[in-house]
Amino acid sequence: MSVTIGVLALQGAFAEHQKRLQSLRLKRPIVSILVKTPDDLQRCDALIIPGGESTTIALLARLAGLIEPLKEFIRNKPVWGTCAGAILLSQSVTGAKKDGQELLGGVSVDIARNGWGSQVESFEAALEVKGLREPTVPFTGIFIRAPVVLGFAPDASIQILARLPPRLLPEPLADENDDARTVVALRQGKHLLTTFHPELTQDDRFHDYFARKCVFPTLLAS
Amino acid sequence: MSDSKTTTPVPPAAAAPARAQREGSSSLGTFGVKSGLAQMLKGGVIMDVVNAEQARIAEEAGACAVMALERVPADIRADGGVARMSDPHMIKVLPSVVLRNRSIHLPATANMRSGYDTSHGELWAYLDQRNRNLTLDSKAKVRIGHFVEAQILQQIGVDYIDESEHSFKIPFVCGARNLGEALRRISEGAAFIRTKGEAGTGNVVEAVRHQRAVDMEIRKASEIQAPFHLLKETARLKRLPVVSFAAGGIATPADAALMMQLGCDGVFVGSGIFKSGDAAKRARAIVQAVTHYNNPKILADCSENLGEAMVGLSIDANLKGGRLAERGW
Repeated sequence: MSVTIGVLALQGAFAEHQKRLQSLRLKRPIVSILVKTPDDLQRCDALIIPGGESTTIALLARLAGLIEPLKEFIRNKPVWGTCAGAILLSQSVTGAKKDGQELLGGVSVDIARNGWGSQVESFEAALEVKGLREPTVPFTGIFIRAPVVLGFAPDASIQILARLPPRLLPEPLADENDDARTVVALRQGKHLLTTFHPELTQDDRFHDYFARKCVFPTLLAS
Repeated sequence: MSDSKTTTPVPPAAAAPARAQREGSSSLGTFGVKSGLAQMLKGGVIMDVVNAEQARIAEEAGACAVMALERVPADIRADGGVARMSDPHMIKVLPSVVLRNRSIHLPATANMRSGYDTSHGELWAYLDQRNRNLTLDSKAKVRIGHFVEAQILQQIGVDYIDESEHSFKIPFVCGARNLGEALRRISEGAAFIRTKGEAGTGNVVEAVRHQRAVDMEIRKASEIQAPFHLLKETARLKRLPVVSFAAGGIATPADAALMMQLGCDGVFVGSGIFKSGDAAKRARAIVQAVTHYNNPKILADCSENLGEAMVGLSIDANLKGGRLAERGW
């Protein structure tokens, strides 16, 4: 049976995610839809929250009556957030706008918007990622004003998938292997979080990973 | 629909050299990064603002970016003259809302249509996105209108520069009236295209004309004065190979949705918001209309009770201020 993966399409690079999903050739065919309303969301088995402006996306979600349905969805189904989507999936955000950034939560991390400062806010980096198809081939991470993971909730079952190599860090960290700030891709249960943009490359391995490792097992279990 | 809204960035043939290589496997200012900055604005509304108060209203309304102007086109049209770079102080007071406080971090675009004619002057330069300084370099050729303004803007940290009179390298927004013009700008390094429209009129007809021209020419791409490889890439994608927004004369949610249905990735709104009766409400409605451009019910709801729209002008020989699109707006 086919599996429906929605892409939250309020603002940002949602069409690129859909394109990558459409290129997947898996055992179970993937149907991808753009999600703009609660009705669209109801049709989905899993969801991707794309990059864009996180405050704009949150505002549009509120105006579309999507905040509560999204929170409910995240409690039950696999969700992947990229960049702005990763911010929205976080438990808390440091340095939000004055009256607070509306978050959906779901992944037990504290995150900072544009945490490395303007000097390194946008760049590409070759990443080694655990669990991808062809794991020895580096994945090109495109970081566009990327958020930075500041820390994990204690006893959260976070699985780290990729870190920025130490030589690419803008400043030396005391212990780069234990510093959350080097983490750029992680998983918590059925949820996936990347601070960069796999959808901006032609490489579909992250989409493949999300489908095979997060979405299919959750469907089997339910 | 998904196909027509997908941007697969292709580096222009005359792409700026890969630069600022960090140790080995990381690089800054690549075409992927430059066009990625524009891709994150897709499905959004970029609003013209002339002061910090307007920037705040834009942010509250859900603008994905703001464009700092000295005057909005409607005023230039009414009062005559040229649009200069914003007073740097104005852009610097924006930071409290926009620029420096990256927690809010709407990208800011600044205007540097200077009216300063240097179409024959050439400067070898490129803008380094990483440290945002104008860096002189002998590899990438750029003709810049008023390069001192560009230096000032880069110094204070704007994210994009809007320039349609002259060619630029780096993620600059350029206006275009047809496919040939769009592809020439892309080949010169533009990573972000918008329709020229007829700014300051509150009349969307010219923006529609430009978008339709691009679309029609993409369907029968011949006799276009543009680099062949970009033409081929455009034909393959069936859309412009970079992010493309509507601009010029957008005044209502319906105008914005119309441009989206015609295939634009997002819209710029200038005078349409802050020359209307209730700017905050109209701004929010236009943001919603861009998201839900295919949903007539939401469009009808968000178009209600917006108060007075800006005065719409007929675009004819008597148009006050003349055709800004001819000036390269």
